[in-house]
Amino acid sequence: MAAIFSVDPRSGVPLYLQLIEQVKRAVALGVLAPGEQLPTVKALALELIVNPNTVARAYRELERDQVIETSPGRGSFIRSNGALGESRRAIDDVAASVLAEAVREARALGLGRDAIRALFEQGIERWFESGKGKLS
Amino acid sequence: MSIAIHNLTKRYGAQTAVDDLSCEVAEGSVYGLLGPNGAGKSTAFKCVLGLARPNAGSITIDGKPLAPATFEFLSFVPERPALYEWMTVRQHFELARRTYARFDTARAAELGAIFKLDSAKRVKRLSKGQHTAVALALAFSIRPRVMVLDEPASGLDPIFQRVVLDLIIDAAAGGAAILFSSHQIGQVERAADRIGILNNGKLVLEGDLDTLKGNQKVVEAVFDSEALAPNGLADDQRVARIVLSGRIMRVYVRRDAGGIVTALEALAPRSLSVFDLSLEDMFLGAVDDGSTGHGNGAA
Repeated sequence: MAAIFSVDPRSGVPLYLQLIEQVKRAVALGVLAPGEQLPTVKALALELIVNPNTVARAYRELERDQVIETSPGRGSFIRSNGALGESRRAIDDVAASVLAEAVREARALGLGRDAIRALFEQGIERWFESGKGKLS
Repeated sequence: MSIAIHNLTKRYGAQTAVDDLSCEVAEGSVYGLLGPNGAGKSTAFKCVLGLARPNAGSITIDGKPLAPATFEFLSFVPERPALYEWMTVRQHFELARRTYARFDTARAAELGAIFKLDSAKRVKRLSKGQHTAVALALAFSIRPRVMVLDEPASGLDPIFQRVVLDLIIDAAAGGAAILFSSHQIGQVERAADRIGILNNGKLVLEGDLDTLKGNQKVVEAVFDSEALAPNGLADDQRVARIVLSGRIMRVYVRRDAGGIVTALEALAPRSLSVFDLSLEDMFLGAVDDGSTGHGNGAA
């Protein structure tokens, strides 16, 4: 199950944040269902080959965000309520920041409002038009 | 168990090898010490182990000074492992079993198999990597609570380097405090939750690795004409250094990249971006003594 997560330790993005995003993404996409058990901190640390405290920190934050719940001795589970909403919000945030970054970059390249809007329209057409261009 | 180093200074004659070093390794934590050759890592390790007498400062394990009993729980793997050339691998294991009350024979056999060690071979016939593997197998066989590992993967192929990472992560998950050095930044950014960068004996950057990655950023501004750093920016506590090249200004930020972005927006740059820094970037920035011609302002 842990194979659904992958982190990049070489990246400048803190590992625990990468892991939090991966878990929320998996919940938002239904890869992890409510009630499903997560690996133990040690098991996931060994699977991803990262420091156990880093995994523990991600789990703590996920618990604070009400995505998972941990009961001593039983382990960590995806929450039955609240997990999906929070995860979808998180995914929206990720998508929004990716798009904002794209706009910023396009503007930095000297494109105006209309030119950028046209490019976005093209992009949307490409990915949403009758399933064409969809990733298999 | 935990390791605490407070204001450690070690001089050899006129040379200061370690200069006022302080760091702590908590239970279950892995501390990665990075630094160029000759930065003082090995000297610091010798002091931690009581093999060199510090000129100043203190070292405590679980709040207590080093004592003979400490070594029942402590494993040290030096950069060049000290093994007996004429003894076989099996004889080394046997010697360790008789020396350490906590030596776990079953674990030792397991580790010997993991590292594919031929126990009948004499040490003098082993490769450099196999030397390291014997030392590591011995070190982990006592199920240590405190570990000091100096370049623990030197001479190992990528598969066994991975094994070393697994062993470190497993020991940390079991509550061991681990202090290790490595030139391989990729190992440090996987295994360590805390890092310190030594340069010329001084700790130039230290902290929780994820917190450092979250705080340290590069803000890049591109202008329509030659970039000039605004007054006072180089002295800003949030700024590590400023690099100017033509119309581009890069500001290396210690924290609050958003605040620096706001400050630079006032200069109406053509574009403004924030980039993450990998540990390698941080390392190179921290040990940059200006000899590369980059860097400007407060380091």
